[in-house]
Amino acid sequence: MGNQVPPLTELAPMQRRRLDQAGRMALQVAWWTQPEAEPAVPQVFASRHGDVGRTYRMLEQLAAEGEVSPTQFGLSTHNAIAAQYSIARQFTGNYSAVSAGSATAEAAVVEAQGLLADGAPAVLLVMYDVPLGADYAPFDREPQAAYAWSVRVQRAAAGETAICLHATCAAKTPSGQDSPPRLPHGLEVLRFLLGDQPGLSHQSGQTLWRWQRQATRA
Amino acid sequence: MLALEPEIKSLIIETMALEDMAPEDIDPTAPLFNEGLGLDSIDALELGVALQKRYGVVFNADSEDIRQHFASVRALSAFIAENRKQ
Repeated sequence: MGNQVPPLTELAPMQRRRLDQAGRMALQVAWWTQPEAEPAVPQVFASRHGDVGRTYRMLEQLAAEGEVSPTQFGLSTHNAIAAQYSIARQFTGNYSAVSAGSATAEAAVVEAQGLLADGAPAVLLVMYDVPLGADYAPFDREPQAAYAWSVRVQRAAAGETAICLHATCAAKTPSGQDSPPRLPHGLEVLRFLLGDQPGLSHQSGQTLWRWQRQATRA
Repeated sequence: MLALEPEIKSLIIETMALEDMAPEDIDPTAPLFNEGLGLDSIDALELGVALQKRYGVVFNADSEDIRQHFASVRALSAFIAENRKQ
């Protein structure tokens, strides 16, 4: 879903009223992926910037008036959106909120792998972001868009095509070699997941991430 | 104090982001919290800050009376009418 505020009719108006665009989009795709309650399935919510617009408004209010809105403050943590989902769905299980700069999608998958290794039958992964406000423009390092997507992560069964993710230590490629990305990285990952390209490489700091599609033995 | 009621209702709708609600939808005698309008503890804090800002009233959170002042739009309007500083 992109660049719109979803109706999120699954959520009661009294709960919905406090969510901004980022929260509504994230919860909407999570709900679509998980229409029925699944208490055994942990959730990983991943966002590079999260609800940073809310934080900025709160700081502005603090500077101008010397006080902050209790509601805004209560929702100003990175895991607030995941928490709203768990409250709305009455899930008391495990959830995490991940942010890892330009490798946020990769970090979310690593987190999901950890949960699978720990015995979870599947993991709900929710990736979302909204554009940084104009005041943060100097920090824009990737194309900006409002988007949210969600997938269920589980072990590939025999014969299924698996998605593999490798990380290696690698110095940055000299600038100018790569063409600049046209999409936020989270959407490049989604395109890879849905499409049929064999691989996707992503340099983030000193780490080179490689996504690959691999057949498993039947 | 009745004159204050529409103003208090508008303040509640605006401050609590009650989408799709109009002042006339709020029963001035209905409980604001839990049953009735359905506001929660964060709303109580938010409303306290908003009333302080608009009317200069100060609430003592430890006071037993505060529950009564916040019971309904009508109770709140009466309290504000009596204690407003601006």
